[in-house]
Amino acid sequence: MNFDLPAEHRMIRDQVREFCEEEIAPIAQEIEDEHRFPEEIFEQLGQLDVMGVPISEEYGGLGGDTLLYSVVAEELGRVSGGIGLSYVAHTSLGSKPIELFGTDEQKAEWLRPLAAGDELGAWALTEPGSGSDASDMDTVAERDGDEYVLNGTKQFITNASVANSVLVKAVTDPEAGYDGISTFIVDPDDDGFEVATVWDKMGLNCSPTCEISLDDVRVPEDRLLGAEGEGWTQTMKTLEGGRISIAALSTGLAQGAYEAAKEYSGEREQFGKPISTFDAVRDMVVDMHRKTERARLLTHKAATMYDDGDDVTRASALAKLDASEAAREVAEDAVQVHGGYGYTTDFPPQRFYRDAKLMEIGEGTSEIQHLIIGRQLGL
Amino acid sequence: MKILVTVKEVAEAADDFEIEGTDIGEQYLEYDLNEWDDYAIEAAVQLSETYGDIEVVSATIGPERSEETIRMALAKGVDRAIRVWDDDIAAADLDVAAKTRLFAAVVDEEEPDLVLSGVQAADDGFGATGVSVADEIGFDWAAVVNHLDTEDDLSTAHVHRELEGGIEELTDVDLPAVLTIQTGLNEPRYASLRGIRQAQSKEIAAFGLADLGLDADAVDSPISRTGMYEPETESDATYFDGAADEQAAQLADVLREKGVVSE
Repeated sequence: MNFDLPAEHRMIRDQVREFCEEEIAPIAQEIEDEHRFPEEIFEQLGQLDVMGVPISEEYGGLGGDTLLYSVVAEELGRVSGGIGLSYVAHTSLGSKPIELFGTDEQKAEWLRPLAAGDELGAWALTEPGSGSDASDMDTVAERDGDEYVLNGTKQFITNASVANSVLVKAVTDPEAGYDGISTFIVDPDDDGFEVATVWDKMGLNCSPTCEISLDDVRVPEDRLLGAEGEGWTQTMKTLEGGRISIAALSTGLAQGAYEAAKEYSGEREQFGKPISTFDAVRDMVVDMHRKTERARLLTHKAATMYDDGDDVTRASALAKLDASEAAREVAEDAVQVHGGYGYTTDFPPQRFYRDAKLMEIGEGTSEIQHLIIGRQLGL
Repeated sequence: MKILVTVKEVAEAADDFEIEGTDIGEQYLEYDLNEWDDYAIEAAVQLSETYGDIEVVSATIGPERSEETIRMALAKGVDRAIRVWDDDIAAADLDVAAKTRLFAAVVDEEEPDLVLSGVQAADDGFGATGVSVADEIGFDWAAVVNHLDTEDDLSTAHVHRELEGGIEELTDVDLPAVLTIQTGLNEPRYASLRGIRQAQSKEIAAFGLADLGLDADAVDSPISRTGMYEPETESDATYFDGAADEQAAQLADVLREKGVVSE
């Protein structure tokens, strides 16, 4: 059992960290305040081969493993949850399914530009009336000759307003339940595709979260990903990887919040000495470190198992559940350690706190993670 | 054409550290590529990208630990690397003359047309190795280069040298030459992730003294470190309060008092 990252992973982590500190950290609060998706950052990330880390080299990706992808997602989360969220949605949800389930032609046309960082990806599962009960969807795709016609509304779609492709889940056979769901590659330029809302949120505002409406969107049959009826099993498989990426992002949020609190508590003096020398504050910072380290270990374990081809249903749910909770708790304590300053936007803890809350909701709420783990334990 | 870039892994002390013997305790040190060398690497890689058909080789004197740092140079576009080290070098207190003898032997081996080094190292800060190597190998040289143009046939480098007091010297240096590179010459790139992956399989050749035709005398030094201490820091800051005109009056008093301006 080896807990050291391989040298290549360490070098990549260090270089991505340097980029994040130089290019992202200085604007992280500003893009939140402005609700601005930082295209220029994603362009640079593309040039540095970050946008296709776990995608095979054959399709323009880096060919890295899931552990490497986790390391990169953590570094982005450490400085900006919003950039991190758009990144993992692009990668785990918008790109990876095309690699896993697409034809060679689909990969060449749709995956390559995503992996190279020229375009941004998204996927659309959730609906206004369908969240945790994700298969209970109203969006339909009806066959019409050699086309499908899509109708419905999708909710909370990360990147939809800046994406070049969206993987839309729709019902092709209303009688078949889970087996009646299919996945379609939709181009936002397709007629009938409209971004109806870009939500104002508690946090993560540099990452657009959208409601999209599909009104008689006609797509050729070669936009069907995999076979008809495979949409649900694809979704389960995709979310197993997606959970690891949210766990990694959460670990990054926790790490960023922990570092801010550690530094501040060493500098801030009250009663004539640094507040970190008071037991109450020291214990808080120690627990922040403990939770962050625990979240990282579970994340790296799930990523390593994924790379080994093991079943990661339980491991990825555990990592996601624990890391998202750790991120919220550590960020909350970081605000507390900073006192009044922590409540201001001049200091990052409030941003980590806002961002962290979503991690307990997106890609399966904590309650759904408990459900998954409970089933795995035979309960 | 071949460019040799000398690079060094430098130690940086943590904010709080302790001195052990004549050095900072190893547990307080972190290692990274010398900042000046990053600009020298970028200059070499840019020349290689501009002209094509240029091999960029990095040379370092350092233990096995430094390979991770060297690999970052390989990731940024250096073609291959040389690392000079053995037990005799490890046991020596390397001074400028010793480093000069080692690098001169590498130059003999590689026969580069251009040698780029950083102006100085961030840790010991002698700021002498590049020029000393030029003298030893008989190359022309220019120190503290902050602007670099080259003739299309790469026969001559047109350089700006940063001198004291904000003065720049504009001069031409015929190749083969040694240039010591100042920070700000260019904008060092981030290594791409693909570059980092490819760098894992690039060659880092290890050379000992014997491989370079030298013996232990080459790293002998008449200089030895006898002590290390943290200098007392003094701060003598005066804070002015009040409206701008009051502050200006106070500043004027201080300047007169210190003799900066006459009464």
